[in-house]
Amino acid sequence: MVSSTIDHMVAVTAFLAATLIFIGLFNQTIQTAVIYQRHKFTATKASDLLDNMLLSPGIPVNWGQTDANLTGFGLQDPEFTQYKMSPFSLMRLNSAKGTPVFYYKTGLSYSNITVGSKNFLLVSNTSVVDYSLALRLLGINNTYGFQLTMSPIVTVEVTEDNAASPLLLSLNVQGTGFPLANAKITYCLTTVSLGGAYPSFNTNYGTADADEQGSATLVFNEVTDADLSYSLIAYAHLGGLVGVGYYERVSLEEEYVLPLVDSLSEGRILIAHNFDIESSDPPSAEVKYNASFVFLAEDFTMREMPLENSADHVNSGAGHPYQIVNIPTDNPGILIITYRKSANEGGIVMMPWGVSSLAFPVVFGGDPSQQEWVATDMRQVRVGGIAYQAKIALWNLEGYQVVG
Amino acid sequence: MMRTIEVLIVIIIITGAFIGASFFAVLPWPRQVSPVNLRRLAFTTLQMLDSNYDLSRAAFEVDNYTIWSELHVALSASLPPNVIYNLTVYEVRSGTAQLYDPKASISNAESLGSTSDASSYLTASSNVTFNVTPEKIGEQGGGATLYILNCSDANGWWITGYTAQSLAEDLYKLLSPYFVKTVMVQNTDQLRQLIDGIEISGDPKENVENAIIINTFGECVPMPQEYYQGHALANEGYDAGAPSGYGYTRYCYTLGQKTREHNWTWASIVGYPFYYVSNTGVFENEQNGWGIYGMRMTSQGGSRAFLQGLDNQPYVYDSSGVTRDVGVVTLTADSTDYCNYYGIYPSFYQTSTRALSNSIQSDYNLAIGISMFNPPPGNENYNAGAIYRHVFDGSTDVTGSLLALGLTRTPDIRLTGLGLLSYYHPRLYRSEYTAYGTSRLVVLQLGLVGGV
Repeated sequence: MVSSTIDHMVAVTAFLAATLIFIGLFNQTIQTAVIYQRHKFTATKASDLLDNMLLSPGIPVNWGQTDANLTGFGLQDPEFTQYKMSPFSLMRLNSAKGTPVFYYKTGLSYSNITVGSKNFLLVSNTSVVDYSLALRLLGINNTYGFQLTMSPIVTVEVTEDNAASPLLLSLNVQGTGFPLANAKITYCLTTVSLGGAYPSFNTNYGTADADEQGSATLVFNEVTDADLSYSLIAYAHLGGLVGVGYYERVSLEEEYVLPLVDSLSEGRILIAHNFDIESSDPPSAEVKYNASFVFLAEDFTMREMPLENSADHVNSGAGHPYQIVNIPTDNPGILIITYRKSANEGGIVMMPWGVSSLAFPVVFGGDPSQQEWVATDMRQVRVGGIAYQAKIALWNLEGYQVVG
Repeated sequence: MMRTIEVLIVIIIITGAFIGASFFAVLPWPRQVSPVNLRRLAFTTLQMLDSNYDLSRAAFEVDNYTIWSELHVALSASLPPNVIYNLTVYEVRSGTAQLYDPKASISNAESLGSTSDASSYLTASSNVTFNVTPEKIGEQGGGATLYILNCSDANGWWITGYTAQSLAEDLYKLLSPYFVKTVMVQNTDQLRQLIDGIEISGDPKENVENAIIINTFGECVPMPQEYYQGHALANEGYDAGAPSGYGYTRYCYTLGQKTREHNWTWASIVGYPFYYVSNTGVFENEQNGWGIYGMRMTSQGGSRAFLQGLDNQPYVYDSSGVTRDVGVVTLTADSTDYCNYYGIYPSFYQTSTRALSNSIQSDYNLAIGISMFNPPPGNENYNAGAIYRHVFDGSTDVTGSLLALGLTRTPDIRLTGLGLLSYYHPRLYRSEYTAYGTSRLVVLQLGLVGGV
């Protein structure tokens, strides 16, 4: 009787223990499978969402060239089909990378994409589309987060090998996976002249071919002054791929003018003194400037478009208002502003009108770094004729924990 | 003891089940769970490579080492380093033999690994021209001549930003393929010839009868000097009794008469039709009320006078208005269809400040041949753009037509083209796209290397 009872108790105990252990084991397997399934769904969603963004121009269709409120999110160029993006719609996306700058004379903050030291794209926060609005318009508010990265496929790196007599510039043309060997290069050297009432500039256009390693050297015998301010813009193209590179040298680093995009629909650009942006407090100092606009023609040469009221001066501090220039075109191009403080000190700054003109990268959206699982997908797209890679990172906000 | 053994047996069975389930329920690799969409990546890569038709050129020049070398470099440069590829060009064949014949292939790996996907892209040969041949308007019935007023001795109004000459040139490019003969009326002397029914070019294909005349001068219409006050035809061009210096409404009446007599289609491209007349010679020192010399205002009486002449009514100076500002209008569904058919795409939305009243239909025996715009609510009795056909009561013959686009400045000549083409509807004969040897299929297969 006693042994039977003991046998019964041992059997029941062992059975219950085994049942609990196996429920846990099976549950772990099932949970892992469910999470994998949800990850796969997130990956599918990422691909769909990327196509939704890239294959729709948004509402209104020309929102990139206006300051209108956005009611449908999409980045496709409304004048084209396929994966061709509007360089202006991308310009209106609030940059997730650059720190916004505040300009007290307008009381506004500006979305900031700055590449190098003198290439700016600062767009008024009243014009940019922020991440939360994009989430709502895409219908994924509180369910998914994303980060969209548009980066140029072809990079053209410019380095100065010799400052003058002659000026030697090395160009290195690289794709994402391989050098763009034997690429054809079209370039524009803009040299700044600091004489006269306002600075002016001269342009020197030319072509070159890259070698098997994607490298080329440009020689400018006419540059004999090592303090001469200049900029170089180079377009490299081969087999349907087009990329842009640029480089500036200035004789005055500390003081310069900054272009701020105030109105996209009117093409209104504010010309500000950098002391007012960087909160510097040195004695005010006048800087004279001269603005011009160039755009890329279909044969990869650059054409200059005159601007009204292009030459003036700005100063920092109270009582010195900013100046305004208007870009009178809906085509992408580059605003080139030469500036001078004295006959020996000056420089040049550039701003793309449409991100593609200087192949500015765009990062828009949230931060994926702290997310448990991030699905990614990519497409090859063209932005204003420049080859870009569009990459999305998508994560689920509803939450699911990892077992183990 | 027996129960314990039974339980142990049960545990062994469940353990076996768990091991078995774990063995068969193999979870996928992370790459399979969250794959890069290689198919879309391949497709967008092909689109990019063909953006300047480089891929199409390579597909048809498979023996050109330079082009294929560039394609190879571009392909390698555009794809991420962990993506391997194979690009193959196929000739598309017809008949029962092998449908796709491989012509050339490039790859950067021996195999594409376990994960790969492909996209295909059809390229067209640059040696093949896909023509669209338009039917000529009226070619079955003697041919219609298009006259475009390009008078060098007249000024335009409400064509801000353009000159009549630049508009005339654009219209010529847009519409001349649809006509047997297109004549640019270079000055008001030639306009006078036209009014008198005399051919201008001497070309046997030119026909003044049933012609279409486009007035590129906006609200203004060129006037030959003979119609000037005191000149030879002043009795057909000037009404001394008209108030406020609007005497040249009489000239508009004459144009209406001639439109009826020759069965013309008179096209007014923008604004209020016949609101001014212009001749930079005889009106050299006179202006239109807005400081534009070489021009005189006829005001609202101009349109009324034209319509009187068109309807063969006696000329009576009538200054009553005939238009209304109706605001934003939209293209009709028919007009939108014609946009697609002819490949002319003006804005769907237009602003009309000079929409003609429907009352002119009963007043002057007019019938609407085609209406281009939907009237906004509350303005159903006004037409922002239409071709009016004049048909006498009891007759079925058309005796003159008027295309009136009562839109605000500046003019969009595509709307004029759209209106005329919608009305005459010439057919387009398109060449065959599926001709043998004109297309090649490019397949790009991508695979991933490295990682899991």
